[in-house]
Amino acid sequence: MSSQPVREAALKLVKGLEQLPLERIKHIVSLKESQIERYSPVAGLGSSKNDGKAKPSLEDIKDIISRTSGPLGMQKDALKKIQAALPQEQFTVDGIQEQIRSLQALLSNKNKNYYDVGDKLYKPAGNPIYYQRLLDEIEGKKKETFLTALRTVLFGK
Amino acid sequence: MLKVVSKPLYRSARLTHGSSLINSWGQGRSFASKEREVDKKLESPEEQAKNSKLTSKPIDLSNNAPVKAKGKRSLLSESKYESKSYQLPKWKEALGEVVIRGFGLDMDKIRAGPIAGSFYYAQCKEQGLQFENEELSKTAKFFYEDLKLPRTFSQWFQITILHEWILFVRMRAMPFKYGKNYQQKLVDRTFADIELRLFEEMNVNSGRIADQYLKDFNSQLRGAVFAYDEGFYTDDATLAAAIWRNLFGGRKNVDLVHLEAMVKYVRAQLYVLSKMSDREFALGKFRFVPPNEVVVKLTHAQETAMKEEAIKRYEAIDADPNLLPSDKSNLSYKN
Repeated sequence: MSSQPVREAALKLVKGLEQLPLERIKHIVSLKESQIERYSPVAGLGSSKNDGKAKPSLEDIKDIISRTSGPLGMQKDALKKIQAALPQEQFTVDGIQEQIRSLQALLSNKNKNYYDVGDKLYKPAGNPIYYQRLLDEIEGKKKETFLTALRTVLFGK
Repeated sequence: MLKVVSKPLYRSARLTHGSSLINSWGQGRSFASKEREVDKKLESPEEQAKNSKLTSKPIDLSNNAPVKAKGKRSLLSESKYESKSYQLPKWKEALGEVVIRGFGLDMDKIRAGPIAGSFYYAQCKEQGLQFENEELSKTAKFFYEDLKLPRTFSQWFQITILHEWILFVRMRAMPFKYGKNYQQKLVDRTFADIELRLFEEMNVNSGRIADQYLKDFNSQLRGAVFAYDEGFYTDDATLAAAIWRNLFGGRKNVDLVHLEAMVKYVRAQLYVLSKMSDREFALGKFRFVPPNEVVVKLTHAQETAMKEEAIKRYEAIDADPNLLPSDKSNLSYKN
């Protein structure tokens, strides 16, 4: 069991991790979930693995399998196995504080704001709606029609 | 004529540690004194990753697929046209110029091959290139030692496509038909090279197995480009998650400091690219900023001065009556 200061720091880290945005598309593994699961025991919260989380439905599984194949040389469930294996880690207060600082930097968009690339790259001259269209599609705004899809296939944008 | 340009590095938008360039730009100092204080505190991605106090190691340290090349390929190819020392005979060069002028060939389109397919591909390839029992290059050390990534072929592929994606982002901002062509040439070359590497270096003997690998790499490329695009456009946290899934293989005991360092690395490269004009980029003037260097934001005055200088330089080149047809370009040097 971890000492009191470590536990407090880890609790803060877990709170920060909970602020990470939800994924717009379901992937095999999720940064947010895996990290919460990793630090929860350190924070004394116990594993949140089974409480209230329903098993993935058949649709979920089909969706994942049809969109992504296993990485090179790995069985399909290998990633999950690696995820499940809890490493024995020793955490220090300093180490966790550092993690919190990095997490805050990510959450506050520090690098995106500092290295601002402006509309030159966000609305690229060759295809100004490229990113917006991509985002609309994954957020499920249903703006795509058969004709716009055909246009992309034929003309590339 | 079509030879790859190897001019000095594009240094305008980046400063190395302890560089005195900040002070030499007198006019910009008062404009952004607050920003300068932020700049001084900046760490390079490599420093940041090295200073992390978290000691966790990747779970599986055994490397089951080392890159043990029986015969090493040269960086690009054995073709004499891709070697640095080769000079076209004068008569061939003259004939080429006549053909280009006579048929009015579009050099910007032709240049995609040698620049994106050869020069930029070599840039992406050498970032994470490593062989077992051989010393790592400086950038490779950052990826394999500081970030603790496994030394495998597919890890090399992930590092390569991350860098290719960075270039894709800039290519999209070129006029559509040229940008698309640059992207196409880069991807074509990647897969042509991987196929040869599989046979010659990874000792794959069966064409069917190589094809399977290539298909797998193709879907990894599509997935990675999509995920990075989403992260680039939305926020740092999404980009970090995309990097974690692809570059770090989604391993659980990842160090968030490493992730932040990688986000900084990527955003800094994109920042440098955003300050380059189409012409400079298309002529192959971009080099990746090494991870041990810091990219410092340009002040408004610096940026204007840099642009003016570039415009002056390219105006002079375009106005030169002796400019060879093969050196002509219609791409903008003003953006």
